[in-house]
Amino acid sequence: MKFSISREALLRPLTLVAGVVERRQTLPVLSNVLIDVKDDSVSLTGTDLEVELVGRTVPATVDVAGSATVPARKLMDICKSLAEGSDITIAVEEGRAILRAGRSRFTLSTLPVAEFPNIDEGQGEAEITLTRGTLKHLIDATSFAMAQQDVRYYLNGMLIDLRDQLVRAVATDGHRLAVCARDAEFTLDKPFKMILPRKGVLELARLLDDSDEPLTLTLGNNHLRAHTGNYTFTSKLVDGKFPDYERVVPKGGDKQFCADRAELRQVLSRTAILSNEKYRGVRLNLDEGNLRVTANNPDQEEAEENVSVEYQGSALEIGFNVGYLVDVLNVLGCEQVQMTLSDPNSSALLEAQGGSDALYVVMPMRL
Amino acid sequence: MKKILHADCDCFYAAVEMRDNPALADRPIAVGGRADHRGVIATCNYPARAFGVRSAMPSAQALKLCPELEIIRPDFERYRAVSADIQALFFELTPKVEPLSLDEAYLDVSDVIRFQGSATWMARWLKEQALSRTGITLSVGAAPNKFLAKIASDWDKPDGLRVITPDQADAFIDQLAVSKLHGVGPATAAKLERLGIRTCPELRDVSLARLLENFGKFGQRLYELSRGIDHREVNITRERKSVSVETTFDQDLPDLAACQQAVTALVVKLDERLARHEHPPLNKLFVKVRFNDFSITTLETSGVTPGLEIYQHLLDEAWHRRARPVRLLGVGVRLTPPDDLKQLGLF
Repeated sequence: MKFSISREALLRPLTLVAGVVERRQTLPVLSNVLIDVKDDSVSLTGTDLEVELVGRTVPATVDVAGSATVPARKLMDICKSLAEGSDITIAVEEGRAILRAGRSRFTLSTLPVAEFPNIDEGQGEAEITLTRGTLKHLIDATSFAMAQQDVRYYLNGMLIDLRDQLVRAVATDGHRLAVCARDAEFTLDKPFKMILPRKGVLELARLLDDSDEPLTLTLGNNHLRAHTGNYTFTSKLVDGKFPDYERVVPKGGDKQFCADRAELRQVLSRTAILSNEKYRGVRLNLDEGNLRVTANNPDQEEAEENVSVEYQGSALEIGFNVGYLVDVLNVLGCEQVQMTLSDPNSSALLEAQGGSDALYVVMPMRL
Repeated sequence: MKKILHADCDCFYAAVEMRDNPALADRPIAVGGRADHRGVIATCNYPARAFGVRSAMPSAQALKLCPELEIIRPDFERYRAVSADIQALFFELTPKVEPLSLDEAYLDVSDVIRFQGSATWMARWLKEQALSRTGITLSVGAAPNKFLAKIASDWDKPDGLRVITPDQADAFIDQLAVSKLHGVGPATAAKLERLGIRTCPELRDVSLARLLENFGKFGQRLYELSRGIDHREVNITRERKSVSVETTFDQDLPDLAACQQAVTALVVKLDERLARHEHPPLNKLFVKVRFNDFSITTLETSGVTPGLEIYQHLLDEAWHRRARPVRLLGVGVRLTPPDDLKQLGLF
């Protein structure tokens, strides 16, 4: 194997592919990236056995086609630190990979290509096409609510619920829940639900942008494959039953107020400074036209803020983990946010004023 | 039907000491405080037990029973490290682990599918792994509930493995003395004996009404235990109610000034201990004073800042209740019950 390529052509796919590679590996070859050189293309593959990413790029010249695996992170760090516009040559000589650029030369170890594992993705059940922008919007609106290392393993991921011309993403850690749904131009014979693992969601998001470029999803029983531009992403799916999110969305809230989203977010962020660091509880006191936000901590320090709200109705005091509220206000893109409450022990519904494609449910804290 | 394991390290602190210094293995040793400092025995090895040495015994008394007893000062850092390895092992089997102390835990293995769901194999695996990874031997009891599992782990100690299957439970309880029941100490055992009750079958013959009359709320528990009923869940988040530090002084502190001086070091230690628990939310502060006549007084106040000033204030008031030399001082905090500060769940 021997080819040359510009630093820029190599760096972007290499960075994305190296993101999939875990720092700590059980199998040595998993810390490597597979470089496969054909006559006029170079493909890079990284995997952690759960998520696999293949990125393709164009070489300047190919002297000898072939393939090799080299340490992903080291290769990325070398390419990153070379000067912009460098021309890079990579060749395998006597079982080692030699990288040359200008007057620099690096010799990297390799491992046999045959040891590099494939994700065995099985049969695709259906294939749909949507845009990168649609999926990015859904992930951005909901991914913060995914659980992390929860024993309820099926919460450590995102539910993607596909129906004819509708795609919906749901994430929850058991304390709060985020749902976002968008119309899309695809047809599907029967609804399809899958749980994409947390890491898969985060890596897939890195491939997306706000564009209308097409993104093809191949839906399998155990795998999801996403194909867009020069990238092919494959992830195993979480085998489990996701909670029924429709049941969790509160219906009977009778205390609804509206506030300026940016102002409310700032008020909460400031109050949070003096909340208990571990529990992060803040108290909301809702009254006609005013919302008072207070917090205190074990050092008996106190914060109090008042913010004007559109509200008429009976007073209510309710506690929340302030982080859960701020997370929602961060992703809502609207001017005015609307919050619907019923009592101190029942969940709150947050959404853009008048509703939009996303809604958020947050359970209160007993303070 | 549930499957509960109770795993208990054999003479844990002493076992760690013997592991790290094998020369100690065949000699009577104990871990505890110095005899000339009014120390007590925390744990002792089996050679020491042969002399009648027991945990919680004053070190001075232990030395009378066994003059060659070697008493080692405890090194909790080291014990905690070994404990963490053993706890990690428990969590490899199931997330449903209720640690009771550094060396003891309940495991709810009802849903474990490894080892074909066999509690016996799981117990055997725990014992093998604990020994090979940490050099510590475990005694494990397996039973349909917590109280039987705990009795079972104690049955063949050390290095024991006793399984009580649901259909063996009745026969097992029939042979138990009431003193084996959880919560029945010497006082309750004596009281039961006065009522003519020595064994579980005898206890079972007593009506619930009579037990409630004699033992109050605990009567209900006795009624259930004697029938092998124990509905307690393996409690994954064990609730810590307080954090405190106390010291028995080598020499009694003669007056309030000496006490005030001594409390400073305790408050520093308390602060370290709270840091180790990540500064949990508190709602009360207290002091404890044991005078040289062994009378105890405690005084508490609501507050969330465990500073020196407030403890000195509490101590001042508590000391004046008896105004005599002091043998032991303690300072502590009561934690806000988690139920008062709780994130509610969606499902």
